Amino acid sequence: MFSHLTVAAGLMVGDMVFYAIAFVLLLWLIGVFAWKPVNEMLEKRADKISNDIDSAEKSRLEAESLAKQRQDALANSRQEASSIVDSAKKQGQQQRDGILADAQTEVLTLKQNAQKDIEQQRQDALLNARNDVADLSIEIASKIIQKELSANDQKALIDSYIEGLGKQHES
Amino acid sequence: MGDPSSVPTFQFGGLTFNAANIISGLIAFVLVFLFVFALSRHLTLRPGKGQNVLEWLIEFTNGILKGSIHGNEVGAFGLYGFTLFLFLFISNEMGLFIQVAVGAKDYVRSPTADPVVTMTFSLATMMLAQYAGVSKLGWKKHFTGYLKPFVFWLPISIFEEFTNFLTLGLRIFGVIFSGEMLLKIIGQLAFSHGIVTMIIALPIEMFWQGFSLFLGAIQAFVFVTLSSVYISQKLEIEE
Repeated sequence: MFSHLTVAAGLMVGDMVFYAIAFVLLLWLIGVFAWKPVNEMLEKRADKISNDIDSAEKSRLEAESLAKQRQDALANSRQEASSIVDSAKKQGQQQRDGILADAQTEVLTLKQNAQKDIEQQRQDALLNARNDVADLSIEIASKIIQKELSANDQKALIDSYIEGLGKQHES
Repeated sequence: MGDPSSVPTFQFGGLTFNAANIISGLIAFVLVFLFVFALSRHLTLRPGKGQNVLEWLIEFTNGILKGSIHGNEVGAFGLYGFTLFLFLFISNEMGLFIQVAVGAKDYVRSPTADPVVTMTFSLATMMLAQYAGVSKLGWKKHFTGYLKPFVFWLPISIFEEFTNFLTLGLRIFGVIFSGEMLLKIIGQLAFSHGIVTMIIALPIEMFWQGFSLFLGAIQAFVFVTLSSVYISQKLEIEE
């Protein structure tokens, strides 16, 4: 089987040169048309995947921090709400106490005023009644006197009156 | 094809060429290039069918190289391994489908069924290994590697290089050549006594073709694997 090789050494060299050149050419062509672009694409893909993983990690962390913030906000708002309710209760209690106290004092003053008024009115009424009685008695008296007072009696009255005046001056 | 008369030759520029090798080699080169060229159109970030096949092939040959060469040094030899594998594979399988013989002279067959062709590639691997060793370790370190483990080891080291070169080329040649030879013999049997032998020979031929297909793939794989082993040996300083 090697016999045709030994016939002429030139035969070997020609084929070898041809194959060497052709193979180098093929290497170059494949390198230009397939190897380089495919490897670039592979690299690009690897980059993209690693970027995606990075960004996914980033967004995960972001989401986590957001959730934490929300949790905190929720806890804060709960606390705030409870404090608001507490203060409202306290305020309500205070207001209630104040209103109650006010009402009591008002009632007291009203009562006192009313008592004073009543007293006043009673005094006034008494006074009025006394005046009225006095007037009435004077009227009645004058009427009686007009009717029954005789000249003698009138004289005696005047006298007594004058006497009274004199006594008054003396004293 | 064993005798010289079965080889069509021609002269060009003072060199003698084997027409069968030139024609079938050209066909194989063109087929490899068209195959790769067709698959590498419309490259996208999200790979299509063709791109997937191409990427799988690249991963496959890179995987072979990674088996023996250290990870960060594979890149430089990736293209060599890829092209070598594709070319050898297509060359090995070519002869199973097309064999053209005109007047007892072969014109188209597996290029790898000729030792000249396989020796060329084996020589290319050896030269690449030497070049890689020199470029990585420097002249002095590279060639003192032949004197290890001791100075008198030198003849054995040189002999080892030579046997590596020979076995690498002859292994693939032997398998492919014998495969084609047997195919031819079965073919001759089929046409020897009319329809009866044809019917008998057909399943045998089919079986042998299938087996040769497998062998061709294995041999291409083995060639690239051994190439990477020889290259990696030159990249490391032997202790």
